[in-house]
Amino acid sequence: MIKLNGIYKWYQSGINRNFVLKDINLNIEEGAFISLMGPSGSGKSTLLNIIGMLDEPSEGEYLFLDQSVFAMKERQRKELYKQYIGFVFQSYHLIDELTVYENIEAPLLYQGVKSSERRSMVADMLDRFSIVGKKDLFPNQLSGGQQQLVGIVRALIAKPKLILADEPTGNLNSAQGDEIMQLFQQLNREDGVTILQATHSEKNAAYGHRTIHLLDGQIQHQHVPL
Amino acid sequence: MYSSFLKTAIRNVIRHKAFSFLNIAGLTFGLTACILIGLFVQDEMQFDKFIPEGSRIHRVYYQITTEEGTSQVATTPPMFATALQQEFPEVENTLRVLNNPNKELFEVGDTKLYEEGGILAEQNFFEIFPLQLTYGSAVAALEDPNSVVISQELARKYFGDKNPVGKKITISKSPFQVSGVFQNNPKFHLPITYIFPLVAAGIAEERMQSWDWYSFNNYVKLKQGADVEGLQAKFQRYTQPFLQGDETTTYLPLFQPLHDIHLYSADFRYDMAVRGNIIYVKALIVTALFILVIACFNFVNLATAKSLQRAKEVGVRKTIGANRSQLMVQFILETIFLTLISVVLATLFAWLFLPLLNQFTEKQIAFDLLADPMNVLLLLLLAVLVGVLAGFYPALVLSGFQPVKVLKGTFSGDSRPGKTPWLRHGLVVIQFSLSVLLIISAIVVRRQVTYLHSKELGFEKEQIMFFPMRGERMSSNVETFKNELLQSPFIEGVTVGYGFPGDMFGDGMMTVPGKGEQKKATQLMVDHDYIKTLGLELVAGRDFSREMKTDKDHGFIINETAVKELGLGTPEQALGETLLWPTWRNADSVKRGQVIGVVKDFHYKSLYERVEPAVLQIYPQAYWKVAVKIKAAGIEKALPYVKEVWEKFSPEYPLEYNFLDESFDKMYKAEDKLRSLLWIFSGVAIFVGCLGLFGLAAYAAERRTKEIGIRKVLGASSQNIVLLLSGDFVKLVLISILIASPVAWYFMQQWLQDFAYRINISWWIFVVAGLSAIAIALVTVSFHAIRAALRNPVRNLRTE
Ligand SMILES: Nc1ncnc2c1ncn2[C@@H]1O[C@H](COP(=O)(O)OP(=O)(O)OP(=O)(O)O)[C@@H](O)[C@H]1O
Ligand SMILES: [Mg+2]
Repeated sequence: MIKLNGIYKWYQSGINRNFVLKDINLNIEEGAFISLMGPSGSGKSTLLNIIGMLDEPSEGEYLFLDQSVFAMKERQRKELYKQYIGFVFQSYHLIDELTVYENIEAPLLYQGVKSSERRSMVADMLDRFSIVGKKDLFPNQLSGGQQQLVGIVRALIAKPKLILADEPTGNLNSAQGDEIMQLFQQLNREDGVTILQATHSEKNAAYGHRTIHLLDGQIQHQHVPL
Repeated sequence: MYSSFLKTAIRNVIRHKAFSFLNIAGLTFGLTACILIGLFVQDEMQFDKFIPEGSRIHRVYYQITTEEGTSQVATTPPMFATALQQEFPEVENTLRVLNNPNKELFEVGDTKLYEEGGILAEQNFFEIFPLQLTYGSAVAALEDPNSVVISQELARKYFGDKNPVGKKITISKSPFQVSGVFQNNPKFHLPITYIFPLVAAGIAEERMQSWDWYSFNNYVKLKQGADVEGLQAKFQRYTQPFLQGDETTTYLPLFQPLHDIHLYSADFRYDMAVRGNIIYVKALIVTALFILVIACFNFVNLATAKSLQRAKEVGVRKTIGANRSQLMVQFILETIFLTLISVVLATLFAWLFLPLLNQFTEKQIAFDLLADPMNVLLLLLLAVLVGVLAGFYPALVLSGFQPVKVLKGTFSGDSRPGKTPWLRHGLVVIQFSLSVLLIISAIVVRRQVTYLHSKELGFEKEQIMFFPMRGERMSSNVETFKNELLQSPFIEGVTVGYGFPGDMFGDGMMTVPGKGEQKKATQLMVDHDYIKTLGLELVAGRDFSREMKTDKDHGFIINETAVKELGLGTPEQALGETLLWPTWRNADSVKRGQVIGVVKDFHYKSLYERVEPAVLQIYPQAYWKVAVKIKAAGIEKALPYVKEVWEKFSPEYPLEYNFLDESFDKMYKAEDKLRSLLWIFSGVAIFVGCLGLFGLAAYAAERRTKEIGIRKVLGASSQNIVLLLSGDFVKLVLISILIASPVAWYFMQQWLQDFAYRINISWWIFVVAGLSAIAIALVTVSFHAIRAALRNPVRNLRTE
């Protein structure tokens, strides 16, 4: 599904280039569940952002479903993004002014889904994740775990093929973290959603099929769990 | 999608209460001012628009060009109409109207009142100006010389609700019969309350063929498609032989479109029309635009200043699939939502304040939204326009945020330390420049107006009671009447004549026979007591004297300007010079006399006009008006006495009078109003600007909370902090003053050109305006600065 060939990312500071990503080559098959680990500053978020088309590499090729992402037009890329990718953030990033219901509904608005359809899609999701009772609350009326749940539901509503999660459990306690991880596992198994998550926790990383270790912007070795 | 936008918009308004309040308040104030100004301007532009085929109607006026410049006179000779009608095929119709400047005594039964606003008009008046007739026939109402057409108000006053046609009215002791009742239109340029047929004046046939009796409003209605310019040129050529001036003076007839009369005749002389002033209308429009710009800039400033708060939302929306244009639409719609609220509130305020504006401008502007859906549409358009104008830039900035940057949490908008927010500073500078411009203009206008009211006019206008003579007995016993009045210890002097300051004047051609000099001069027809009573100053020669028998028929006293313009050298040299004057009663009989005195120039007309050559002479045929000088603090005693004497001589007429200083003050009513309006609207502009500054200061203080905390820990005093925070803004205001001052100077200099006598714009005006702007800005800003400075530094640092 995703092919990265010789991806570099650097920031120019004076005459020096500070490399954040160095020669990243990566292949992610559809249906994979991959964990991304590495010390702080090693470039995990940067890599996720590039894969999520929020950021551009300084050099290298990125193929998404065999199409070269950075060769296509902005508009096409947006379409691709809307159709396939859902983002989950460490700090949830819900829109404070919108209720749970409206947060979940928002991506559908931007995809131009009709209102009756929207209603049933949101209702389904609320049902499936048992948060019907919370639908009229605002983000600041929810616990962290609940907020992250909403964040994930929002990422899922448009039925993405790929979920990019940047430390999704970073702000949660371990019980809440486990729940989220189990959810990811379930999505991966039952719905065939491809998942790429960045994490600092070995335990969470273990939910994935494999872990990619980043150090100073370089991939160290690939480790397949037993 | 839009309903979702609306929801977010509403929640944003509620969540950011302070921000919304500042914006809505600023916009509401600004828009209220704009709506009121708009209504006023619209009303001013509406004059005479109700007259059908009005664009084909013109008024013929003339322009006098002398060495000193040009001036316009509204009244023209009766032959203009005759010639236009007879000689020019493009003319469909002409109309002559003669103003009656006197108040006439109306008597119906026991009701006995003076009425003003009378005119004499030719029979086709209602054909050209079809005012609605409640009673009577438009064609026949002005046929019979003994008839009078009265306004609805007069009809109601004298006859109640009954049809008064055919009823008798005694007008200044002559019998008339009401032939019609017209409905006056407040948008008609002639302020009329009654109309006599022109034939009622009994003007001799040959007088109506005069080319130099400049007394008529001549209107001409052209045929469809006629070329005005061409006709005007032809008419100018045609009239050339009849309108010779002298070597230095030329007369040029010009056509003025009916629709221009109200706004473009402000400096016309002898104009009876209800006049506005296009300059003041433009000044108000500019002020309204200023206020609107200031309010819009507030919005831009506040919105970009607080963009940080919305950056995260932008990032999130983009990561869930929003594209830039969708976000722009969302933000602009949010702004439009705010402007809509403001427009609704402003409409409400405008509606509340309209009666005040009406009272102040003496207008009857109606603001009936339901009656005119156009207004609703216009207001909605205004909301959208202002919303797009104010919302576009912030929307552009906000929607441009990169999600990778803003979601990382280290994003700091444009408020990075060390980076000047140029745009925001620029807008503040523009706002304050506009405000300072308005402050300076307001001060200059105020000083000029005060000057107009208080300038030494060269005569004593205080304590002078002024009234026209009435009745046979009074006119034929002038001396006795004067003497009776002088019996009162509270009366200092009495003079009769025609040509009192602030009243009407006649003129005539003066010739110096030896030198051949000829000049038109104002003729002040006086008695022996005029100079004494008005306190004029003689610079050479002597006053008229009863002992010198020749004074009456052969004495002239002239003013300094006349000495100069007639080429008589110095005032001393002018004494004894012979002057010729063709008398009013018969132009062929020339009065020959000597200059016996020269008076210092005095301002008998408004200060718009330069003092003209004036000639004082004893001329009992024109003893039409009386001026009574009352001793200081004697008014309460003198008034009943004057009334008592009046009753003896003219019991059939009630006494009606005014005071000279009052009629002088009335001349500057337009300026008085401009002054007040400018003060009010400058106030609004500054207030709206300050609302924005207040908000900006709040954000600046908030942004620098941490810096302030550290500085305080390092030992900075509260004063240091206040200075630090206010300094930025004061710098901006200083720049504004530098920008606004020359611009204000230029425009005010232009405005002052209209006045023959005017103030100098002195440097201290700019200092005062500047200091007040700084003071206002400081007070506004320091609220937040002081609050920030007084906060506990440790807590500041912890909450960061
Ligand atoms: N705009 C920028 N300019 C310069 N350097 C940057 C910029 N953005 C990120 N970096 C650098 O890129 C490197 C990688 O950052 P990134 O956020 O990808 O790390 P990370 O692995 O996600 O770390 P963490 O686990 O703390 O989230 C860091 O060293 C950071 O300093
Ligand atoms: Mg990271």
